[in-house]
Amino acid sequence: MTPIDLLTPPAPPTTTRPAPPSRPVVDEPMVLNIGPHHPSTHGVLRVVVRLDGELVVSADPDVGFLHTGIEKTFEAKTYVKGMTLAPRMGYLSPIHNSLAYVLAVEKLLGVDVPERATVIRVILAELDRIASHLVFVGIHGLDLGASSAVMYTFREREAILDIMELVGGARMFPIYIRPGGLSSDLPPEFEAAVTDILDRLPAAIDGYERLLTNNVFWKDRTVGVAVISAEEALALGTGAHILRATGVAYDLRKCAPYCGYEDYEFDVPVRTEGDAYARYLLRIAEMRESVKIARQALSRLPSGPYVTADRKVAPPPKHELATSMEAVIHHFKLWTEGFRPPAGEAYAAVEAPRGEMGMYVVSDGTAKPWRVHMRSPSFVNLQALETMVLGRQVADLVTAVASLDPVMGEVDR
Amino acid sequence: MGYGMGVLKGMGITFRHMIETYTIGFKLQPSAAGDLPAPTGVAGGMPTVTGGMQTIQYPEEKLPVPERFRYLPFLLYDEEQGHERAHFDGVRCTACGICAKVCPPQCIWIVQGKGDDGKPRPVCTEFYIDSSICMSCGFCAEYCPFDAIKMDHEFELSSYERHESWVYDLQELLHPVAYHAAIHPTDYAREVEETRAKDEAKRTRDAAKAAAAVAAGGDPVADAAAAEEAKRLKMEARERMLAAKKAKEQGGG
Repeated sequence: MTPIDLLTPPAPPTTTRPAPPSRPVVDEPMVLNIGPHHPSTHGVLRVVVRLDGELVVSADPDVGFLHTGIEKTFEAKTYVKGMTLAPRMGYLSPIHNSLAYVLAVEKLLGVDVPERATVIRVILAELDRIASHLVFVGIHGLDLGASSAVMYTFREREAILDIMELVGGARMFPIYIRPGGLSSDLPPEFEAAVTDILDRLPAAIDGYERLLTNNVFWKDRTVGVAVISAEEALALGTGAHILRATGVAYDLRKCAPYCGYEDYEFDVPVRTEGDAYARYLLRIAEMRESVKIARQALSRLPSGPYVTADRKVAPPPKHELATSMEAVIHHFKLWTEGFRPPAGEAYAAVEAPRGEMGMYVVSDGTAKPWRVHMRSPSFVNLQALETMVLGRQVADLVTAVASLDPVMGEVDR
Repeated sequence: MGYGMGVLKGMGITFRHMIETYTIGFKLQPSAAGDLPAPTGVAGGMPTVTGGMQTIQYPEEKLPVPERFRYLPFLLYDEEQGHERAHFDGVRCTACGICAKVCPPQCIWIVQGKGDDGKPRPVCTEFYIDSSICMSCGFCAEYCPFDAIKMDHEFELSSYERHESWVYDLQELLHPVAYHAAIHPTDYAREVEETRAKDEAKRTRDAAKAAAAVAAGGDPVADAAAAEEAKRLKMEARERMLAAKKAKEQGGG
């Protein structure tokens, strides 16, 4: 028996295997589907991403999964029935959607709104903005794995939704704002409830900042990520925090004031970095400004009528129905047929939490709008997604989508 | 190092909130009877403190809802004796149909009642609301001129069957006025006040009319006779008109 020689290398095998067939090296990007049912796509957004390794070559948002036909449905409903559709489109900022629609209809009608109604609209709009920004801060954190913040932001958001329920009867779709004013006067508890939440908010916002603003993980995931330049942001038509994070101080409340915003003292926070972190800081600052505006509005809340006295637009108060035949006729005429604005078109835009929310209403003189079109900010902002992530890591796509803060109901309509 | 501090800081905040659950949270705990403490800020809303426990043990505990809360409509009937609509079993609905017309998703179906003579009567014989279509916008309650339909506060409506049981008929929709008064105290107070004002206005109007008649020196008995005569003449004119119309129709046919 020969000892095993471990020092000499073994002889090559005597049988030869066939060489493997040569495979061509294909240099093409990998196509990856993100969504439509992905936890970080904010609803049903599908992004078709082409990847070169980990780097994004292209990102195409594919929208339409939440198409509800709301624009078309508007054409089959009277102007007042349309009030139930407008907030359902952008469910995180229902007051702003209603406000844009109502302002457009009021422009068509040429009706004056009482001062009290306007001030109440401003209070509700600012509360709505805060509620929407609270969702942004919480969900943005959740998308990046910071799951504590959402617990605390939703605590305050819940209090704001309770106020909506108090005035309008529903948390998400109060349908409280109506053409010519409001549906009813404020309940007696309103002022205390709003003062309470406005008193609590500054401390609560400090709390979110303690969790996120200086957190190293948060900064690692957001600073210098999803950057967009001012030129690109303007060219793509983006608005709100995306545009203002690039140094462009564009805010409709200052540039084209509505609802008397020119009478309120507030700043438009602007940053120049253009990244996701700047957008987060902006929204925190905007919440503080909104608290300021709401406080001013609450302090100047005038007494008086809450709805216009024009019986062709707003119904008569119920106590008149018992005594006045004319009131009964107006009441039935208004709710069986609706009002008929003169033929024409109107565009009204408000500074919604996500940017310019515009409503374009065309009347042909009948009781139903001939066409209603929304310039929804989420849809326009979503265009900036590819610019933000091109050539970046695929993981940054999640940050980009979260910081764009799209509402898919508003995108697809 | 930085990451370690980041984790510790974050955990610290979470830990502080956990401690607050026991310190502040105990004050907000429901009593042994299961009653929630009186809300301090928002009527019937979430607890209005920033710290401490925020959860409610639903369904054992329920937060009260504000008066304007709306969830599916219901119909009202007056129980009191001698009410003006007592011969319609007190059902306030007059089948005017304004709620069905104003309903955005068109979930209301009403059939108007007919008398023995085939003439329509101000009462509904059938009233259906499809709760699976209803969007709880509250327009029907807002625009009902007779305060006959109101929005409910009941929101636990799950069922084992999802076709017939979701279409509510007249019997399921009818609620006594006392129920409405209990859940909508402000709205009910307005109704009562309006009824009182209406009655008062009618009384003053009648009194003024009588006073005017006396002031004009008219004899109430003669006035009544004159009114009777005028009515008779009007009826005769109507008879003649109908006869002429009938003759014309027969002639044409």
